[in-house]
Amino acid sequence: MAKKTYDLLFKLLLIGDSGVGKTCILFRFSDDAFTTTFISTIGIDFKIKTVELRGKKIKLQIWDTAGQERFHTITTSYYRGAMGIMLVYDITNEKSFENIVKWLRNIDEHANEDVEKMILGNKCDMSDKRTVSKERGETIAREHGIRFMETSAKANINIDKAFNDLAEAILDKTAGREPGDHVDRVLVDRKQQSNTSRSCCNN
Amino acid sequence: MPVCSENYESEIAEGRNCRSVKCKFCGSVILSPSTATFASFEFQLPLIRQNKSNETEPETETVSFFWSVSDMYTFQNVGFSHTVGNNKYLACADCEAGPIGYHDLTNKTSFVALSRVQHS
Ligand SMILES: Nc1nc2c(ncn2[C@@H]2O[C@H](COP(=O)(O)OP(=O)(O)OP(=O)(O)O)[C@@H](O)[C@H]2O)c(=O)[nH]1
Ligand SMILES: [Mg+2]
Repeated sequence: MAKKTYDLLFKLLLIGDSGVGKTCILFRFSDDAFTTTFISTIGIDFKIKTVELRGKKIKLQIWDTAGQERFHTITTSYYRGAMGIMLVYDITNEKSFENIVKWLRNIDEHANEDVEKMILGNKCDMSDKRTVSKERGETIAREHGIRFMETSAKANINIDKAFNDLAEAILDKTAGREPGDHVDRVLVDRKQQSNTSRSCCNN
Repeated sequence: MPVCSENYESEIAEGRNCRSVKCKFCGSVILSPSTATFASFEFQLPLIRQNKSNETEPETETVSFFWSVSDMYTFQNVGFSHTVGNNKYLACADCEAGPIGYHDLTNKTSFVALSRVQHS
């Protein structure tokens, strides 16, 4: 038998209202006018990606969810096995932002209680059509104690970072449960440093 | 004749891939060395680029040499398409080029076509 080629496997789910860009976040190819690729016609169900965090090889299995799903039709089976959830809204669509609260309630009711969540305000490339300010996204995330990021699937802004951060948050939880497992704080320290230097410049 | 059909034997060591399997287009790592086994059989694999007028009947070609992977989590990076019949098609996880192979749902085995990837 082949030896196991990874340390941990995290299953992640993309959810949110129809049209917010979940599929584009997972699938970034765009067709030209005359030809299409076979894959873009069928669509991607899930991706497996390998990241290395704190010396651990982590497999991310990232699932897209079907557009017709509405939060009231989504139940436990849908979330089964998910360790992380990317909750996506569209910064140009007020309704999709308001529904974040409903999605959160649905996750609380049906998903594993220690599932790690992250809110993404997608389409941040469309600043001229923005109706949801970044501050509102940050506020709702803070209120629920969840990470938040603005992304653009189209301009490829923060997409990889979002998945990395979510994976890292799950790793933190996993590591916390293992006694004697040292959580490496190097990354956090670096972030703090850059904050400090920025406030120095402001002085 | 595609390069890999000429040289494919040099890619095999003890029945496995001796080098990394990567995307031809973007270089994304699909399989690490020695994680897949060589298999030879014929399969009609749809072409990567399709004419928009024949989406219902995709153009295919016969592919004969594969890397066989029995546990999908062996892949470093890969995309799985939605199900078509008994199969899911495989794509590059980064640039989405594909199909680079297919996944057979009946035996849960994935097959990556040597001719649709590069080795390095
Ligand atoms: N400008 C811009 N458009 C985007 C972005 N992400 C997605 N879109 C567009 O938004 C539309 C909907 O995107 P999808 O990815 O299909 O949305 P979805 O969330 O998968 O929708 P459902 O499958 O119906 O749930 C498409 O026309 C995309 O081109 C983005 O980051 N910026
Ligand atoms: Mg979709």
